[in-house]
Amino acid sequence: MKKYWLIFRLSWQNALTYRLNFVMWRVRSIIGFLASYLFWLAIVNSNQNIAGYNPSLLLTYIFLSGLLRNLVISNVSYTACMEIANGDLSNYLIKPLGYFKYWLTRDLADKALNLSFFAPEIIALYYLLRPAIVLPQTSFQTASFFIISLLAALIYFFLSFLVSTYAFWHPEHNGWPFRFLFIMLLEVLSGSSIPLDIFPQALMKIFQISPFSYLIFYPNQIWLGRLDTNQIINVYLMTFFWLIVFYGLFRFVWQKGIKNYSAYGR
Amino acid sequence: MSVISVSNLKKYYRVYQKEPGLAGSVKSLFHRKYEDVKAVNDISFSINEGELVGFIGPNGAGKTTTLKVLSGLLYPTAGEVKVLGFTPFDRKTAFQKQFSLVMGQKNQLWWDLPALDSFLLNKEIYEIPGPQFESTLEQLVDMLDLKEFLKVQVRKLSLGQRMKCELAASLLHSPKVLFLDEPTIGLDVVMQKKIRDFLKDYNQKFQATIILTSHYMDDVKELCSRVIIIDKGQIFFDGRLDQIIKKYADHKTLEVVFEGPIEKKDFQVIPDAKITDYSPPRVVFAVKRQLANQVAAKLLTKFRVADLNITESSIEDIIREVFTGRDLS
Repeated sequence: MKKYWLIFRLSWQNALTYRLNFVMWRVRSIIGFLASYLFWLAIVNSNQNIAGYNPSLLLTYIFLSGLLRNLVISNVSYTACMEIANGDLSNYLIKPLGYFKYWLTRDLADKALNLSFFAPEIIALYYLLRPAIVLPQTSFQTASFFIISLLAALIYFFLSFLVSTYAFWHPEHNGWPFRFLFIMLLEVLSGSSIPLDIFPQALMKIFQISPFSYLIFYPNQIWLGRLDTNQIINVYLMTFFWLIVFYGLFRFVWQKGIKNYSAYGR
Repeated sequence: MSVISVSNLKKYYRVYQKEPGLAGSVKSLFHRKYEDVKAVNDISFSINEGELVGFIGPNGAGKTTTLKVLSGLLYPTAGEVKVLGFTPFDRKTAFQKQFSLVMGQKNQLWWDLPALDSFLLNKEIYEIPGPQFESTLEQLVDMLDLKEFLKVQVRKLSLGQRMKCELAASLLHSPKVLFLDEPTIGLDVVMQKKIRDFLKDYNQKFQATIILTSHYMDDVKELCSRVIIIDKGQIFFDGRLDQIIKKYADHKTLEVVFEGPIEKKDFQVIPDAKITDYSPPRVVFAVKRQLANQVAAKLLTKFRVADLNITESSIEDIIREVFTGRDLS
C-alpha cells in the first residue's frame, strides 16, 4: 500500500513542477466553465422556462457540471494508451506493481489536486456571478449525489482504460483516433454542457441506456431534485450495471491485449 | 544449476503487408494481407548462475525479442522458458523482485522529477528494507559516480548521466538476473568503458547472471566469456568468445591506396596478404592478426603507398563470416 501512497505524492510533485503550465491549466478550466455559464445565462434571461428548467435550476446544473467534470471526467490515465502504443508499458510490466492500481492512484491524485483548486475557484465564481443555487432537498438526495458521482468516476476509469486497450491492436497515432471519437461521444452524451432532457423524448430514450449519461447528467439530476426515489434507485441499478459491465469487459480485453502486446519501440 | 533455460522458443508477430504508394494505401483500407514474422524461431539454450553471456547478431535478429520473452513482456508463440524456476509471463511478484531489464532507449525514471524520487519509488515497489536500500544506493552511487546528479531533474541530465541513473534504478533491488539491451548505445567511449567496468564488477561481486546484447564488439569482448550469436531468429553459435575470435576474427583488414602502377602479381612477394578487393589504386587485403604490422611494413617498403589503413573485423564481419562459413585468411 505504501508504494501507492508514494505514487500519489509523486503525482502531486510532478503536477506542481511547472508553475506556468499549472496556471494555464487552471485558467483553461475556468474559461471552459465561464463559456458554458454565460451561454446559458444569455438564454435563461430571455426564456424563463426551458424544458422544465427555470433559470436557477439550469445555472445550478452548469455549476454542478463543472464540479463533476473535475470529479468524474478529469484524468491522467488516458496516458496509458500512449504507453501501450509506444512500449513504455514494459517499464511497469517487469515490476511488482499493479498497472491499474498505479493509474487509479494517479487519477485519484489528479482528481484530488483538481478539486483542491476547483473549490476556491468555484467559490470565487459564485460570489462573482451570484446565481440562485438550488440545494438538494433531502439527505438521501445529497448522499446519493456523492455516492453516484464516486461510482461514476470508477465507471469512467474502466471505460477510459477500455478505450486505451485499443492501442494493443492499433498502436498507430498512439491510439488517439479512437480516443478522439470517445471524447466527442462523451461531450455530447454525458450532458456536460447541455442538460440531456431538453432534447426530444426519442433521443432521451437513447441517452437513458447509454452509459455516458450516468457520468454527469444523472448525478446532476439527483442533486437538483428532478428524480423521485424510484428513479434514483433506478440510477443506482444502472450505475452498478455499467460498472460491472465495464470492469468485466476491461479485464477480458486487457488479458487478450497483453498477449498481443509486442512491446514496440525496441 | 541453470538459472535460465529456454527450449524450442518461438515468437511470431503478425504484421500486415502494404503495397507501396497511395494506391496500395487505399487498397489496404479494404483488404489486408497479414504475414507472420518469425522473430524467434525455435531456439534453445541454458545459462548458469553467475554467467555473463553476450547476445550478438544483426538488427532484427531476435535478440531483443528473446530478452522480452525472458522478462515476461511477450507471450511466447511456442516453447518453454524458465527463469529462476518461474515462467516469466506469469509475472509473479517473487520473480519480478529478482530480475531486471535495462533497455538502452527506454526511460523508467520520472522525467520531471529528480532521479532520487524514482529511486525511492522503486524502494517501495520492490519493498526493499530501509538499511538494505541505503547501503545498495550508497554502493551504486559510488560505483557509478552519481552523487551530484541525484537531485537534478531527470530531463536535465545528459544521456550518459541518465543512462547511469537508469542502471542504478534497475539495480536497487539487487537483482540476481539482469537483462541488458544495448546498455551503452549512444554513449561516448569513456562512458561506455565506465558502464562496462561497472557491469563486470557487479557480476563478480554479486554472482549475478547477466545477458547482454550490444552492437559494440568491445562490450562483448570485455565482458562476456560466452556468446550466443543469433540471426533470423535462430542460434548460429553458442560458445566461448575466445573460440569465436580465434576462429572467425583472426584477421585484420588492410586497406591500401598505391601511388604509381601496380599489378596483381606484384603482391605474390607477400604471401601473407590475401587480396579481398582489387580496384587499383585501392587494394584491400586480409591478414592474420599477428602479422598485420609486419605485412604493413613490407607493403610500405616494397611499394609506393599513398594511404594505409588497418582495421579490426567488425562484429558484423565476424557474424557474416560465421553465417557463410567463409574464413578469409
